[in-house]
Amino acid sequence: MVNVYESVAANRRKSLLVITSFIAFILLAAYFIARGLAAYYGYESTGLEFTGIALVISGFMSFISYYFSDRIILGLSGARPADRKADFNFYTVTQNLCLAAGLPMPKLYVIDDTAMNAFATGRDPKHAVICATTGLISQLNRTELEGVIGHELSHVANYDTRLMSIVTVLVGLVTLLGDWFLRATWWSRGSRRRENGNAGAIFVVIGLVFAILSPIIARLIQLAVSRRREYLADASSVKLTRQPSGLISALTKLGADLEPLEAANKATAHLYIVNPLKGLHGSMDWFSSLFNTHPPIADRIKTLESMV
Amino acid sequence: MNPIFLLGIVAIAVVVYVIGVYNDFATAKTRIKASIQEIGNQLKRQADLIPNLEESAKGYLKHEKDLFRMLTDARKSVQSAVSSGDLGKLSDAAAKVAELLPKIQVVVESNPEIKGADVVTRLMDELRDTSDKVMYARRTLIDLVADYNVKMVTFPTNLVANVFGFQPEKGLDTPSTGTHLEVSSAETRSPKVQL
Repeated sequence: MVNVYESVAANRRKSLLVITSFIAFILLAAYFIARGLAAYYGYESTGLEFTGIALVISGFMSFISYYFSDRIILGLSGARPADRKADFNFYTVTQNLCLAAGLPMPKLYVIDDTAMNAFATGRDPKHAVICATTGLISQLNRTELEGVIGHELSHVANYDTRLMSIVTVLVGLVTLLGDWFLRATWWSRGSRRRENGNAGAIFVVIGLVFAILSPIIARLIQLAVSRRREYLADASSVKLTRQPSGLISALTKLGADLEPLEAANKATAHLYIVNPLKGLHGSMDWFSSLFNTHPPIADRIKTLESMV
Repeated sequence: MNPIFLLGIVAIAVVVYVIGVYNDFATAKTRIKASIQEIGNQLKRQADLIPNLEESAKGYLKHEKDLFRMLTDARKSVQSAVSSGDLGKLSDAAAKVAELLPKIQVVVESNPEIKGADVVTRLMDELRDTSDKVMYARRTLIDLVADYNVKMVTFPTNLVANVFGFQPEKGLDTPSTGTHLEVSSAETRSPKVQL
């Protein structure tokens, strides 16, 4: 038996830990790659300007997708606005849970797809959008729907769109830096290299190691952050509805539904309640679960069952 | 560094902290008041809604006299509770509406003719929704009061609360003794369902 409040607090702590280690890693990697790049070109400086340029480029790309996240996603997914009468349960459940969570009512959309799924996006609670498929709305009862909407509203309340955008910017930063480093060392083959002593050579080697490994490590931590936020949203959903059974049976149904969602792609996968790109392989080994945006449904159900 | 300067920084930090905590308490109190109003607001909505539902479902439910009487009863008690403005009465009235729902469901399930009627389905949907809304409005009050009262008793925010004379909030009035906290021996036996 886990207290709901404790469960939410524990998830927040773990989430903070993952995010802190992520930022620490990014800082370290950016520093060494930039330092190596500077040493490679024989600059006197620490190469901070490379980090600056990469941050601006990566930030600019992600800012657009973050600021217009609500509109871009909806354009991609081909959704229609939800209607109180036609989508009674979806509409009123969201209304009621917003009341409990103290959030403004998000815009609601329905995707016409028999695959069962739902997602939340938008840069802040005022611009939040929650979207559900017709498959989800028709196959879940009201209690189960409350669990799913509670999960999505928790993503909104926890500013997960903002968090994941920042994480994406930082992953883009080290990926760009690593890419520049590898290109520079590959194409110039040392022709522009000047004498800069042993210290410079060491920085070039360290930079090379970071340039090769950082993008993949950063991506793995990004996925760990994403999974951590899913657990947090599950726990916060239970805190809203006080009915873990609703979310448990909804997740069981969602897990049994093997149909992939046509409107989803890799860029939007982390927003959904369950991975919309799921394949047919049911069991997930330790290694392949590292590359998942969502924790395995069985683990999520087990965690929720401890709260009953 | 000058010790007086250092002391000054500490003093400023303490003052900023105290202001922050004071504002937290004041904000929480306002939110709690607003959430009580929200319960009233939802009950008012319920009181307005039920006569309309009553009217539209009349034709389909006229044979179910008992059910109809309960619906009318629930409406009346909600209306009188709203006009009296007493939070305790409001809660009683909301409980009546919540009790009504399973009874209607039984009647509807046993009668395929009215089960098919859109009007009745809508009546049930709306009744469930309105009692959910009242429940969630109360949940907000309970959660806000719990957060507020935790701060009242935990260190160091309790010091600030004492200095400014904040009092614990009562929240949803529930008797702390009575049958709802006891388990009778009949209730300990596992229930048998006979169909």
